[in-house]
Amino acid sequence: MKKRFISFILLSAIAVSTMLIFTSCGKKSDNEIYFLNFKPEIAEKYEEISKTYEAITGIKVKFSTAAANTYEQTLKSEIAKKDAPTIFQINGPIGYETWKNYCADLTDTQLYSILSDKTLAIKGEDGKVYGIPYVIEAYGIICNLSKFDEYFALTNRQTEINSFEEITDFYSLRTVVEDMTLHLDELSIKGVFGSTSLLSGEDWRWQTHLANIPFYLEAKEQNYNVGTGVEEFKFTHNVKMKNLFDLYINNSVTERSLLGSKSVSDSMAEFALGQCAMIQNGNWAWAQIKDVSGNTVKESDVRFLPLYNGGSDDSDMGLCIGTENYICINKNASEEDQKRAADFLYWLYSSTDGKKFVTEQLEFLTPFNTFNADETPSDPLAKEINRWLSDTEKVSVPWHFVAFPGTSFKNDFGSALLRYAQGSITWEDVVNTVKTRWKEETAKAR
Amino acid sequence: MKLRNTACIVFLVFLSVLFLAPIFIVLMNSFKGQFYITDAPFVLPSKETFAGITNYLNGIKKTDFIGAFFRSLFITVVSVFAILLFSSMAAWYMARKDDKLSKIIYYSFIISMTVPFQMVMFTMSKTANTLGLETPIGITVLYLGFGAGLSVFMFSGFIKSIPKQLEEAAAIDGCGPIKTFFSVIFPILRPTAITVSILNAMWIWNDYLLPYLVIGNEYKTIPIAVQYLQGGYGSRDMGALMAMLVLAIIPIVIFYLISQKYIIKGVIAGAVKG
Amino acid sequence: MYKRFSRYFPIFVLPILAAFIISFAVPFVMGIYLSFCDFTTVSDARFIGLENYKEAFGESFTHSLWYTALFSLASVITVNLAAFFLARLLTRGFKGTNFFRTVFFMPNLIGGIVLGYIWQIIINGILRYYGVDITFYEAYGFLGLLVLTNWQLIGYMMIIYVAGLQNIPGELREAAAIDGATASMELKHITLPLVMPSITVCTFLTLTNTFKLFDQNLALTAGAPNRRSAMLALDIYNTFYGGVGSEGVGQAKAVIFTLILGAIALLQLYLTKRRERDV
Repeated sequence: MKKRFISFILLSAIAVSTMLIFTSCGKKSDNEIYFLNFKPEIAEKYEEISKTYEAITGIKVKFSTAAANTYEQTLKSEIAKKDAPTIFQINGPIGYETWKNYCADLTDTQLYSILSDKTLAIKGEDGKVYGIPYVIEAYGIICNLSKFDEYFALTNRQTEINSFEEITDFYSLRTVVEDMTLHLDELSIKGVFGSTSLLSGEDWRWQTHLANIPFYLEAKEQNYNVGTGVEEFKFTHNVKMKNLFDLYINNSVTERSLLGSKSVSDSMAEFALGQCAMIQNGNWAWAQIKDVSGNTVKESDVRFLPLYNGGSDDSDMGLCIGTENYICINKNASEEDQKRAADFLYWLYSSTDGKKFVTEQLEFLTPFNTFNADETPSDPLAKEINRWLSDTEKVSVPWHFVAFPGTSFKNDFGSALLRYAQGSITWEDVVNTVKTRWKEETAKAR
Repeated sequence: MKLRNTACIVFLVFLSVLFLAPIFIVLMNSFKGQFYITDAPFVLPSKETFAGITNYLNGIKKTDFIGAFFRSLFITVVSVFAILLFSSMAAWYMARKDDKLSKIIYYSFIISMTVPFQMVMFTMSKTANTLGLETPIGITVLYLGFGAGLSVFMFSGFIKSIPKQLEEAAAIDGCGPIKTFFSVIFPILRPTAITVSILNAMWIWNDYLLPYLVIGNEYKTIPIAVQYLQGGYGSRDMGALMAMLVLAIIPIVIFYLISQKYIIKGVIAGAVKG
Repeated sequence: MYKRFSRYFPIFVLPILAAFIISFAVPFVMGIYLSFCDFTTVSDARFIGLENYKEAFGESFTHSLWYTALFSLASVITVNLAAFFLARLLTRGFKGTNFFRTVFFMPNLIGGIVLGYIWQIIINGILRYYGVDITFYEAYGFLGLLVLTNWQLIGYMMIIYVAGLQNIPGELREAAAIDGATASMELKHITLPLVMPSITVCTFLTLTNTFKLFDQNLALTAGAPNRRSAMLALDIYNTFYGGVGSEGVGQAKAVIFTLILGAIALLQLYLTKRRERDV
């Protein structure tokens, strides 16, 4: 009895003391900065960078990654904490409005000094720099040329168009796509386009990237100042979005009613496995496509097409080029940590080791002048971007969707598109949802 | 009559198959390539679709499942131990003291049982942060607080049925309250203690939102790891998800088969009192 | 009994009381206060009176309120009927009763997130044959959650009913049989009244469990389509963490949610007390 009594006392003492000990520590060490990463697909690569950087400077960079579609939510809970992120990112002017109380002035940082085009940075009302883009990305329609070659070799095709080069606007694209759909078996594909992934959280290719087209056209006409947010989106060019969206869902690998269970990786895999000829996505997709086991797409067969949509300037259109990744430093971090964060970022984008990581591991095209022409990623989509950029007659479409109001607008937009695809609502309903939700969310933010 | 019994048994067997089917479907799909799952979940893996243990390897790597398993285990064991010890002590003291303060505390504990977690989730994560409880150890303090209601309630119910003479005898022998509690009372509480541990273990092991909000970003437990796998900007891996579901179920099934008798007893006791 | 028993308060009660205050009491009181405030973090709260409550009763909340209430009602009925029926079968003294009990109870131990994904793959697999998936109608999410909840809770409630049924003295039934009572008369006049306590317990357990459902909802549908299948707990969570600026509304919704669950608990207490008095 006595023994048991003693052991209980001991155990409880241990329990209490460990609780006290552990709760009082667990704080970050002094030589540590905290980077809240946005891109889960490269989370592992950041770990390597962290190790290298610690070996060189003794400064530990702790990387933490939010799961898809939860960045804002994670940032929100993390930034209120004591050990808040030192480095975080915002997605553009709208993000800046939300997080401006946390963004430090970056005007005098070395990172800003190496930014090639200073207009790309996010500036506050005071003209100071608060967010610096760190990657340049482009999206469009990714094509597998071999499927087109097979198609153009068909003797029973019914189009006037005879080569891939002749696809220069929406109408030529649609003609080819619709005729390809009639020859699925001969082309050994299941659909012309990969599945339009409308699973919740997997719908960003449509509710932001594709929706950028009508917004861009409207902003151009109406001279919107996209940088400060737009109060009302009239969605006058919605038909152009519908043109492409309908083309995608009606000529797809998957029946339109089943698109709600498809994820982005499903459609990337369809493309990689040669089950479709085209998908809409950006240059970041190559990493994913090439990693699919059984990948049949040759690097030399990969082409980008702009999002031809039936507008009058289709044939002058280039890819959608821009960024939604702006790096910020937390103003509330200690001076020392802010300095460390700036040093780390400068190292990453200017030193030989850092740049090697950026081009080879992260596979970023960067907006910094420290990168030479040969220091770009060697993947086929990056090459395609350079090809389109070098054609001076083509006008690149900027990423205006960064001015879309918050996550909940985008999610509602996405589910409206899903319900449209499923046939439960009309396109009119989608348009109305977009217009009303836009107004509601902008009103809330003000 | 006999015919009816046979019919009943056939029915029960059929039902059992139905009950176990979901688990088998997940098990089966965990061996298929990730792109063959959503399209045909009820088809057995074929030569073309069989993926071996790739899904398991991928999933374990992506989610750090081993780490998550040990974190879940650690948090559950430490929390349950703390709840067991401190709630039984508090229940005994309050039942015997029975003054106004004890009553107030006791009823606050009881009321907390009915309050949904959403009521306190935001403010609780803030207090946890202020106090630096965002570690696998710190979170056990939170579990101690949240587990207090049911556990104190159950211990109290039992303690009130223990005759005071036992303690009085011990007191006459010169035992102080601490010694009396641990040498006389605590051993008698064994059956309730088992119930309390099982109910709390089941809840803490499977809990998602509390650890997600408090430590989820840095220390993932099993439910968080499974949920994390779901989102991954355009890299949702169904195969790995299936494999992790299987791995998440295995420890539970093993635990259940070993301690089935206690679990079922505990659940009955917990339900009748709660 | 002991001299200066109060001196032992710090040892016996303080540890758990401290934990309780940290994790529950303080956040609870803060939560009530914050529901009348506009805030993004605790430190920048600004008192705005009842604004949050006015805003709380928006479309999404009332919809989820109805959705949850209907879902709970449907669950209470289906789960309890099935569980009671199974319990009757298992108390007939068949061989293998233990095996069946083991099987039926097992799903209860699996956590909500895992359950949600298990059923997502199955339900989508079935719906595929009809060319749709669970995101198609909110009704699919509803039925999906109902199937899931039944799978999870039937075994649990069955165990409680079995215990209740086993408490009925065998002589009572025998006596009834000798008096020529039919099976349905026996059920109505002997079994049902005697397992009434179990029925109350199970009804309220199902009710509170389904009202608070979160993990399963998050994993199975995450509210799709368009948050139409989001139950109360998920709706509150979305309000809090879905965007910046609506934390106060989320907290107000949480207070209302608390009141609803409080009312359910009081009702249960009242019914239990009344029965005790009657007996």
